[in-house]
Amino acid sequence: MGNLICENIRKQFKKHVVLEDVNLTLERGKIYGLLGRNGAGKTTLMSIITAQLPSSGGRVSLDGEDVWENPKALSKIAFAREFQGNTGSLIGNLSVQELLKMGRIYYANWDEEYARKLMEQWKIDKKAIMSTLSQGMRSMVSIILGLASKAEFTFFDEPVAGLDAVAREEFYRMIIEENANTGRTLVISSHILEEASGIFEEVIFLHGGKILYHENVEELLARSYRITGRSDVVDEMVQGHRVYHPQTIGRSKSVTVILEGDETFNEQGEVSIQPETLQSLFVALCQNE
Amino acid sequence: MQELLNDEKSIYLQISEMIETDILRDILVEEEKVPSTNELARLYTINPATALKGVNLLVDQGILYKKRGIGMFVKSGAKEMILNKRREDFYDTFVKKFLEEAKQLGISKKELVKMIERE
Repeated sequence: MGNLICENIRKQFKKHVVLEDVNLTLERGKIYGLLGRNGAGKTTLMSIITAQLPSSGGRVSLDGEDVWENPKALSKIAFAREFQGNTGSLIGNLSVQELLKMGRIYYANWDEEYARKLMEQWKIDKKAIMSTLSQGMRSMVSIILGLASKAEFTFFDEPVAGLDAVAREEFYRMIIEENANTGRTLVISSHILEEASGIFEEVIFLHGGKILYHENVEELLARSYRITGRSDVVDEMVQGHRVYHPQTIGRSKSVTVILEGDETFNEQGEVSIQPETLQSLFVALCQNE
Repeated sequence: MQELLNDEKSIYLQISEMIETDILRDILVEEEKVPSTNELARLYTINPATALKGVNLLVDQGILYKKRGIGMFVKSGAKEMILNKRREDFYDTFVKKFLEEAKQLGISKKELVKMIERE
């Protein structure tokens, strides 16, 4: 099995450019975090990769074959999206059972037993109508659809939105378990980062329709620092480096620095150097403009 | 292996330090199997690749070794090795910081010695 590759993906809705020249390689067996603010283009990108939405340009391929209108490739790619489930809507009128039946038809490796086990664990009534479920329960149904698809590449769009802390922890555990047992590639979009950062091997920061960083989480955090001290001392120390999210209060200044290559800090004065977390780095990167 | 992870340093370093601490406390003993990377990943809800990185760090240092097809084991002499390593690191991790803070507060060497002897 090869990688899932996006080349120069572009998407615009009328004049509004949502994605601009996105190049991305998703490798087998990794857990990815797709991170970005609301409106950064996460759902659009995942919809295009999973061929649920046409792009305005560029190519998505698996094993060298175009994914678009390619049933063989698409049976290996699952998209667990957020179900709105409004009363009267197409999905809102379906029972959980009927919705899962679509998974069985659509995905080549669908695992009915696994779906049943997860339904039991989360106490979801298979006869329940989607529009009568809470947002959290609908998220669970979407997660079950994604996991039981057993698709080699599975995308989860904001899967933990609406889940309580216990269910979120259970979801992360399921993801780890699946990845460890089967070597599936799992891509999770989120803006709840603090608790999830440990499960990602790589993160993809999407900002304003572009990929800002795509890197191993540990390596990215290892070269990211928050420096705080007297303004002039801090400025001196970080001069020439890539600086994000400066904050000043009186004579004190804080900045985020991501060191590139074999860069080191200039002469160190009296400053505090703190490690960034994925959450604080995310905020710092996205606030730069 | 029950401590909680924190944000202060890389997760893989915390994993390797927890295994070391368990060896120091005789929770893991020499020539005994350590938890697999998948078990560690599940226990801490972390990426298996991160758990593997933490374990491999100890393999590189000769504290753990791999038995093909069985798993990772604690090498005999590992406890002694960890003790020596932590003693060597003691100056950098603790003494240096301690002296820096003392300097910032204007505490003299003489006063420091007095404080230590008070214990």
